[in-house]
Amino acid sequence: MTITLILEQIFNGLQAGVTLFLVAAGLTLILGVMNFVFLAHGAQVMIGAYAAAAITNATGHFYIGILLAIPLTFISGYLLEYLVIRHLYRRDHMEQVLATFGLILFFNEAIRIGFGPAALFSDLPPSLSGFVEILPGVPYPAFRLWVIVVGLCCALAIGLFVSRTRTGAMLRAGAENPEMAAALGVNIKRLFRLIFAAGATFAGIAGMMLGPLTAVQPGMGEPLLILSLVVIIIGGIGSVRGAFIAAIIVGLVDTVGRVFLPSLLRLFFDQATADGAGPALASMLVYILMAVILIFRPTGLFPAKGRE
Amino acid sequence: MAGILRILGIIGSGMAHNRMLWLVVAGFGLFPIFTHVADLPFWNDLAMRIMLLGIAAMGLNLVLGYGGMVSFGHAAFIGIGAYCVGISQYYGLMDGWLHILFALLACGITGLIIGVLALRTSGIYFIMITLGFAQMLFFLFVSLENFGGDDGMSIDRAEFGIIDLYEPLRLYFLIWGVLVLVGVMLMVIVRSRFGVTLQAIKSNETRVEAMGLVPLHYKLVSYVMSAMICGLAGALFASWQEYVSPDIMHWTRSGELMIIIILGGLGTLAGPIIGAIVFLLLEEFLPLMLETLLPAYAENWMIIFGPLLVLVVLFGRGGLVGLINRIIDRLKGSSASRGRS
Repeated sequence: MTITLILEQIFNGLQAGVTLFLVAAGLTLILGVMNFVFLAHGAQVMIGAYAAAAITNATGHFYIGILLAIPLTFISGYLLEYLVIRHLYRRDHMEQVLATFGLILFFNEAIRIGFGPAALFSDLPPSLSGFVEILPGVPYPAFRLWVIVVGLCCALAIGLFVSRTRTGAMLRAGAENPEMAAALGVNIKRLFRLIFAAGATFAGIAGMMLGPLTAVQPGMGEPLLILSLVVIIIGGIGSVRGAFIAAIIVGLVDTVGRVFLPSLLRLFFDQATADGAGPALASMLVYILMAVILIFRPTGLFPAKGRE
Repeated sequence: MAGILRILGIIGSGMAHNRMLWLVVAGFGLFPIFTHVADLPFWNDLAMRIMLLGIAAMGLNLVLGYGGMVSFGHAAFIGIGAYCVGISQYYGLMDGWLHILFALLACGITGLIIGVLALRTSGIYFIMITLGFAQMLFFLFVSLENFGGDDGMSIDRAEFGIIDLYEPLRLYFLIWGVLVLVGVMLMVIVRSRFGVTLQAIKSNETRVEAMGLVPLHYKLVSYVMSAMICGLAGALFASWQEYVSPDIMHWTRSGELMIIIILGGLGTLAGPIIGAIVFLLLEEFLPLMLETLLPAYAENWMIIFGPLLVLVVLFGRGGLVGLINRIIDRLKGSSASRGRS
């Protein structure tokens, strides 16, 4: 177990973490500010990934694919809110679960009809397909590094937007007390549509960046959706800061745990027990973390004020 | 003795009040006669699947419909119940009654732990935490290589004393018997002091608390009971499928259970079983329908089913039970007005 391996895994965890944050950032606001249970957020990830991959394959340029896919995901989120979601705000949570569950089925099937059930592949540009030395003698895939940088830039932009702008203040007010915010003259309808479309865009960006790393296929967003729900539970609903910290923690714990837990267990138990329990514990680690945090902080690490 | 008489009284009056449930249950009891005459044995299989999902949905309905707790993780209890059968058989225990006992115990304990942790929260938190715990259990079974891991394990039909499940229709009537039992039990619970309090908590928790009761206790007990009912359904599911894999507790199944309940009618006794009939018939016949209309898209039936769910939410009120009641009311109303005029 060398320093190289540890460093590499920490970077992988960071990359998984920022990707998770991009999905969770929008979702935590949709859940917290809009009080809307939106399960089809994974579909937005898928739409982003497919848009980028399809455009990249058509034009032959990765960056054009990304640049054109971003407005596409924004439009898809905007349209979805306008056509379906806004009719569901006043419904109870159970009906929202049901309707957005229906949307998942619809989007997965629509993609399957449009692009076929097989995974879609696209090539990376030469500048991103090589390795970069993060430390002397420690090579790391350039694309993963690029994902970390883009993810952190997005996180910074989201953070500044939420903490420094007027609309951001409305968001925070909405997360703490939606009725009061509306009574004070915040245009809730416009705010909701903005949150929704922006959330869809960032989820789409996460999909675009995951595409070259994993398979672009129908249903690809669901595992990410579930993990980002765990992130939101840990971070506290409605808190973008909480989502960021929790996403990095979850990304690191999940990635590093899978690699090192089996060998760590071998220090304490015999080989057979460790090899049996290792993978089991590793895949549950994130959820165990969630359970432990819930015991001490039932509303997450950074609950929006007024919701405790 | 007086207690037994009282319970019998509750059952009697409950049967009169829940005619729809008992009509459907009786229908399932007589269904094999139909399939035998019409020579459609495949339909028995479908009916068993409907009853199994119906039982699980009835269990979930106790917390979802009567208690107002939106649990998004009940598939995990079906899975635990099913794995209790699989794991018992792995160690050579073939007695079906024992499997059921294990399933009830395991689901009761798991339900208690999850319930204690999750019920401290409500609303969106509760939905997501129950989902989180279900995922945790899902991954636990995925990684248990001894018990088949991802691929699952095959199972023999359990031995229920003198009832040989390999005889035709024995399993069918075992499942039907459990359906009757669960139906009676839920009917008694819902009409009991406990059930009434539970429903009061759903509509106004603070008020129940002000009356000196502890809502958490009621919620927890109902949560554990519903987990056990789902575990029971899961144990039978394993015998029916003769196979169990983590797929049985995939999070989409929790969604399916919720769909079944809302489709049928939330917080009604007959709702879950009627919802299960409609859901599984749609699942069975939408592909067939598409095959005749648009053969190229026969496999893509979800493109219709998905929007259908959205439409049910947007325009359906009170599910199918509500719809049937409205139709009955209208028929009664029109005949009454005709009588007057």
